[in-house]
Amino acid sequence: MSMVINSYDSLKNWRDSEIDKHLTDSAELNHFHDTVMKNVYEIALERMKVQCGEPPCLFSWFLMGSAGRFEQAIISDQDHGLIYEQSDEKSNEYFQKLGKEITSGLYAVGYPYCDGHVMSSNPVWCKSKREWEAQMTKWLKEESFESIRFLLIFYDARVLVGEEKYVSELKQKIHDYIETKPYFMERLLENTIHVKKAVGVFQQFLTETHGAHTGSIDLKHSGFLPFVNCIRLFALKEKAASSTTLSRIDELSNLPAYTAELDVYRADFEKLLSYRLKQHQKSTEDYDDVHYLDIKELDKAEKKELKNLFKNGKKLQEYTKSIIKGKMQ
Amino acid sequence: MKEIMFSLNSVWLVLGAVLVILMQGGFILLEAGSTRMKNAGHIAGKTVFTFGMASIVFWAVGYGFIFGNSGNFFVGLSDFFYSGKQAEGMNYSTSAYFLFQLAFAGISLTIAFGGFAERAKLTAYVVFSILFSAIVYPIIAHWIWGGGWLAEHGKQDFAGSTVVHLTGAAASLAATILLKPRIGKFNKNGTVNNIYGHNQVFTALGVLVLWVGWFGFNAGSTFVVDDGFFGFVALNTNLAAGAGAIAALIISWMVLGKSDITTILNGALAGLVAITASCAFVETWAAVVIGFVAGILVFYSVKLFDKLKIDDPIFALSVHGAAGIWGTLSNGLFATKELAAVGKPGLFYGGGFHQLGVQAMGVAVCGLFAFVVSFAILYVMKKVMNGLRVTEEEEIIGLDVSEHGSYGYPEAFMKEEQRKEEQKEEQSRLAN
Repeated sequence: MSMVINSYDSLKNWRDSEIDKHLTDSAELNHFHDTVMKNVYEIALERMKVQCGEPPCLFSWFLMGSAGRFEQAIISDQDHGLIYEQSDEKSNEYFQKLGKEITSGLYAVGYPYCDGHVMSSNPVWCKSKREWEAQMTKWLKEESFESIRFLLIFYDARVLVGEEKYVSELKQKIHDYIETKPYFMERLLENTIHVKKAVGVFQQFLTETHGAHTGSIDLKHSGFLPFVNCIRLFALKEKAASSTTLSRIDELSNLPAYTAELDVYRADFEKLLSYRLKQHQKSTEDYDDVHYLDIKELDKAEKKELKNLFKNGKKLQEYTKSIIKGKMQ
Repeated sequence: MKEIMFSLNSVWLVLGAVLVILMQGGFILLEAGSTRMKNAGHIAGKTVFTFGMASIVFWAVGYGFIFGNSGNFFVGLSDFFYSGKQAEGMNYSTSAYFLFQLAFAGISLTIAFGGFAERAKLTAYVVFSILFSAIVYPIIAHWIWGGGWLAEHGKQDFAGSTVVHLTGAAASLAATILLKPRIGKFNKNGTVNNIYGHNQVFTALGVLVLWVGWFGFNAGSTFVVDDGFFGFVALNTNLAAGAGAIAALIISWMVLGKSDITTILNGALAGLVAITASCAFVETWAAVVIGFVAGILVFYSVKLFDKLKIDDPIFALSVHGAAGIWGTLSNGLFATKELAAVGKPGLFYGGGFHQLGVQAMGVAVCGLFAFVVSFAILYVMKKVMNGLRVTEEEEIIGLDVSEHGSYGYPEAFMKEEQRKEEQKEEQSRLAN
């Protein structure tokens, strides 16, 4: 960025005017999102400095969800958290405030709030290192549906600003736990295996039947999620360090057991990303729009390809089940 | 022996009447469950009131128009303000028969009101219940059951797929067209929103109550118990309902990827509506086929009405209209030589296309008549009464409060109301 941007409003203007130039491919778009979010962070920190001075200790700000996985759509809601070194009152107060500032900053610039409140403004996702460790232990031991959800969300964490190791150490805790309790992988599997069907018995698309997206396919729930969830499970099982779906696939492909299988799925996932990117050129009015693909606008070959992608998502799930349940035997 | 049979037949008719009146309970649950909480008390309560209205009007003029003696091809003309007088030569109590027929008229009216749901003014219910029960239903019932021109023509409609269900549905269609869709049903871009009913358990229970009541409706329509034939009619009725539910499950699963509860419930009802015309004229396997086809038909019919931008809140048009048409036509295919007490056997029993043609004409004429007359009545009402529909504001706050001043579910809504009350009190205290 060449110009100096020091307010959320001007950042939003810049984002809105620039974003069209970055729709060539998904990686390009996500680099752009990273740049914008880093700028939000810098403005937020400047504001904090004016009000409360310098940060009292080292910390890291990390992204989760689609941003963590480096696969955001043109509009994505925010998912992020903070980890800071010291657990004293001063640090707590400072970083809670910073978390709130970043969250409202992101909102002002065009990133909608997360419905599940996975944001630095929420104390659950903004903690000192020691508290994070305690929380991680609690989540692992609890094994409830919610705590497993949280673990899986956290596992996509990618540090955008600050200390890498805070996040990687916490991920290591998850890896260690799975090492001692292999059955835990099955619990993780159960939490993510439900997928919205997209192809019916007659090989017809199962589109939305009511509402504003009638006639469209839910690309997020029917297309992306099986891939994202299955690859994440493999990463957990094999202790992969990457947080993005594509880099996870690359990393896992080095293991002979996965090489052949994942080759196909990598290509599928890239195609899914490009379908969504194509969607961006049209309707991007609100967050929901980017996930729906109107099948009327697809040609015959595209329809065939898309059905194939959904079927492969299903196949990947079966493959994942066999790998994870196989481990148990 | 003759006296015993007279008594038994009369008991059977009153039992049938009771079961058919119980179907109003089924409709109360079905309609309330399929609509929103804010209208629940209204939807449930108005059914009791409109049945009362139908009873009085039927007594005053309806029965006379249908079954009156000095009648002609178009309408009967005696027995107004029926006194309970026993008709000569009848082997059951005429009063019991009257009550049974009255219950049918009530059902047809309730079906017609399906098209009014969640937006019509209470006064529209009052006026239309009089006019429908006095004019629309009696004329069609006379044509087919009262010795009118379609009876002479040989039209088969044993218990009223056309007379009761199609007539009701045609009026419902007229109403829903004139009333226009509920607020929020259709989007500007042409897509359809689901306005979810508030209690699927009520809806399912309503369907079951209707299913049981239908034994009175169909089996009761034998009027007599003499040879136990009513048992066969009841059997066919049950088979069709079951087949309808199964077909609906299968078709929704195949097309939508999920078996849809609303479709399953509609399927059972569609099976019942369809078999109503033919339950005494067809073999058991045919009853299964008729019910099964109805279950599939109702699924596509609902889709069609959505596409046509016709808002049918409780699926009256599809369940009673589409299935009613199919049920009446099915006689023309499946009626057997042995069973066809009226008319001729169907296409699959060597009767050729004759009966199918009779059925088709009956459906077309009755459907059209009921629609046109109902439309005319409602159109005039709309002009005279300054609209059939509540205001936008009233529709949004719900008919429970706008039409009746109290909620079907007070706890769900009152808190806010009470808060407002308190606020008002506070303000007036400050003002003083």
